[in-house]
Amino acid sequence: MEQIARASALLGAGICMGLGALGPGVGEGFVAGKACEGIARSPENAGLLTRTMLIGQAVSESTGIYSLVISLLLIFAT
Amino acid sequence: MEFSADFIRIAAYIGAGLSVGMASISAGVGEGYTAGHATYALMRQPKASDNLVRNMLVSQAVTETGAIFALVVSLLLIFGGFFTAEGGWYKVASLLAAGIAIGFGSIGPGFGSGYTGGQSLKSIGRMPKHSNAIMNNMLIGQALAQTDAIFALVISLLLLYSTPNQPSNVTAGTIIAISMAFLGSGIVIGLGTFGPGIAIGYVAGRTNDMIGRNPRQRGLLTRTMFLGAAVSESTAIYSLVIALLLIFAI
Repeated sequence: MEQIARASALLGAGICMGLGALGPGVGEGFVAGKACEGIARSPENAGLLTRTMLIGQAVSESTGIYSLVISLLLIFAT
Repeated sequence: MEFSADFIRIAAYIGAGLSVGMASISAGVGEGYTAGHATYALMRQPKASDNLVRNMLVSQAVTETGAIFALVVSLLLIFGGFFTAEGGWYKVASLLAAGIAIGFGSIGPGFGSGYTGGQSLKSIGRMPKHSNAIMNNMLIGQALAQTDAIFALVISLLLLYSTPNQPSNVTAGTIIAISMAFLGSGIVIGLGTFGPGIAIGYVAGRTNDMIGRNPRQRGLLTRTMFLGAAVSESTAIYSLVIALLLIFAI
């Protein structure tokens, strides 16, 4: 029984990180796409746009990091 | 099979994984959508850069709340000290349901708030002069969309802390019925807030976009937004009622 509990923790870790990577991936890609579109139209503001893109992506990444934390907890702390 | 506390651990671990996993999907997409429109708006109005970045971060913080609720619930599931055999099958079902409720329940509000934020930033990029009005309307719209995530959080916490332990002298049929009622309450609030969350976000997003085009009609637009959001919210409230009935009235 102990082994099954361990197995379910590992299964939970997989579900968590797998689904959790979906959203940030799509979202960050959208940011980068829009940033490229903006830079193409207005290359003189490339520095400003890249900076904003990176700030936005960093915030979008946070939920991916939550998933990573919970996955690592499920793998190593249970 | 003899009941042991390990069954409760199994349910709690899978629930914790589902909760953060599902909630991260929409928060990630929503925040990315907001940041994308912020970047694009900067291209049009480089002078409004401070204003745009500030609004982007506020909007992303609101979009994030659903995912943070899910994180809290999953930490409670792992470390909340539920792993004792007294809980019985009732606790197995309610812990799994708590994870499902907040995990699925955060999806709609995340997409919705992200859409609202993105459209508002697009609108500010078009009319930086009206950024305060747009920002206020954006926050109202996102708050309306996030109420659904709060419903899910309430049901999740009730499932964690208000469900009874399994009494010793009940039949197998009763155990199955009550456990399924708890599981059903997690599923009903999880799926029931999905549509309203997206819909309210869409309503608020379109309203903010149009305020940027026609700021003089702001009062009319905001009024219509409230009306539309209230009608969209109704099914989330039906789900909340059914979820509460499944927990307390069975």
